[in-house]
Amino acid sequence: MLKMTHLSKVYRTEVVETYALRDFNIDVKEGEFVAVTGPSGSGKTTFLTIAGLLETFTGGEYLLDGVDVSGLNDNARSKIRNEKIGFIFQAFNLIPDLNVFDNVEVPLRYRGMKAAERKQRIMDALERVGLASRLKHYPAELSGGQQQRVAIARALAGSPRLLLADEPTGNLDTQMARGVMELLEDIHREGATIVMVTHDPELAARAQRNVHIIDGQEVDIAEDPRFHAEHAASSHV
Amino acid sequence: MELGPILSTLRRHKITAFLLVAEIALTCAIVCNAVFLISQRLERMDMPSGVAENQLVMVQVANIAPTEDAKARTAEDLAALRRIPGVKDAALVSQVPFTNSSSNTSIKLSLNQKLPTLNATQYMGENMIQTFGSQLVAGRDFRPDEYMDYDAVLKDLDLVRKQTSSVIITKALAERLWPGESALGKKLYFADVGVRVVGVVKDLVRPSLFLGDDAAQWSMMFPLRMNGNNANRFVLRVDPTQRHQVLEAAAKKLRELDPHRIILGKKTFDEIRSDFFRNDRAMAGTLVGVIIALLTVTALGIVGLASFWVAQRRRTIGVRRALGATQSNILRYFQTENFLLATIGIALGMALAWGINLFLMQHYELPRLPWIYLPVGAVALWLIGQLAVLGPALRASRVPPVVATRSV
Repeated sequence: MLKMTHLSKVYRTEVVETYALRDFNIDVKEGEFVAVTGPSGSGKTTFLTIAGLLETFTGGEYLLDGVDVSGLNDNARSKIRNEKIGFIFQAFNLIPDLNVFDNVEVPLRYRGMKAAERKQRIMDALERVGLASRLKHYPAELSGGQQQRVAIARALAGSPRLLLADEPTGNLDTQMARGVMELLEDIHREGATIVMVTHDPELAARAQRNVHIIDGQEVDIAEDPRFHAEHAASSHV
Repeated sequence: MELGPILSTLRRHKITAFLLVAEIALTCAIVCNAVFLISQRLERMDMPSGVAENQLVMVQVANIAPTEDAKARTAEDLAALRRIPGVKDAALVSQVPFTNSSSNTSIKLSLNQKLPTLNATQYMGENMIQTFGSQLVAGRDFRPDEYMDYDAVLKDLDLVRKQTSSVIITKALAERLWPGESALGKKLYFADVGVRVVGVVKDLVRPSLFLGDDAAQWSMMFPLRMNGNNANRFVLRVDPTQRHQVLEAAAKKLRELDPHRIILGKKTFDEIRSDFFRNDRAMAGTLVGVIIALLTVTALGIVGLASFWVAQRRRTIGVRRALGATQSNILRYFQTENFLLATIGIALGMALAWGINLFLMQHYELPRLPWIYLPVGAVALWLIGQLAVLGPALRASRVPPVVATRSV
């Protein structure tokens, strides 16, 4: 489903080159629930933005659903984002001026879907996250957990092949976080492929598989000394 | 099309949206009326004179004292002017179209009529039709034997009473006096003096439009011979390519013939028309300036608001891009939003334009605003709106999708 091989992302200025990802490899199979973990600045978010075609990469290869995405233009990347990827952001990223119904409708409109089909999908997705009764509410009228559920409904409505979640519970309290996590697990059980970026070991442990990034590279948790050093440091805190 | 979400968003920003709509409405209303006023001025400036404008020049003179042998001196002047290379004809006339100074008289259609029917201008001079280049549409020009000396008529009006004198009138005057009838042979009266219509010219505008534009063409020509003591405008019909040379030569010749004569002015007819409509031209120019200023201010308002909204919505634009919006989707979003606001503003503006026109009709005797000016204003505002929003919309379309993942 998602395969990156020797992928690199370099940010260049006049005086310095910074590798956000270096010789990075990952292979996520269809139906997997993978947690990508790592400390702040390790490259997790860069990985997610490249995986979601929000940013281009500098070198290596990236196959999404079997398609090499390296040479695609902006329109083609937009189309893939719209049709194959569902995003769940840490800050929910709902559009404050649109109500729940209109927010979930946003990606469907860009697909050129007929109004009746859009409505059906929106209702199904909101039923799925338990918010079908809040259609006319605006984001500001919802709790954080409800907003994230709307964001999940928005991601699900387009029936994406891949769900990318960036710290989906990062802005939620424990109870709301638990609810959102259970929802993601349910969605996974129904067959969705999920890649979740998190720095929370507890959340990561609930995924099927963990990929750990340090300094822009995937590391074997058991063997990499940098992981142990970081782990030790965080244990002393 | 994202009409629903756009309207939903605008409902959440009522005040800013209202201000822009109000600005567009006001601009639309003023532009519609201003364009109408300009077109009226232009139409007025294009008013037909009834003379061969590109061939006419005029030299205006003044004598220090009355001349003893004025009739002979005038004949000598005209003969000399006709000999100047490029001159086709010359006449000494009482007045010239569009020169503001005019001699007018009241007309009656019968002797026992108490109140005059109307007031018309009286052109007097020999050889006027040929020199002015006026176009006869009915009847004939004056015969040589019909001409009388103006001085003699002034001394003894019985000269006119004894023999029925002739007059040539304009088509507009003929239609006003005898609607649907031929004017030829009909008589009209000044006090107790009657004259018979022998010819009708297509147009001959009055020197002054003091009675309004509707009466602009109410003019008459009389077969009265003028001289240097009672007329001071020499009109020359010349080769159009030699107008300026002829003017100089004519002024020089008239000075040679009478060194005591003062040349008050020498103008081509183009200059005469230009001077006459100076105020109209200035008004049209001012209105054009007002339109440009208003459209500029409106365009800047649109640019400002659109730029503010783009900056304010940068994050949500990034989210839309992340969710699959292409750059053209974003561009279209902002253009549609502007189109909607402009359309609401234009609809209100059209109603306001109508209202302003009614006010102007009541207070300034302006005609009703023809409906065609409403779409003119609408199209102008739509175009201005779309052009003004293009820059900010392009900036919005270039917001990268990765903005959605940034925390601020």
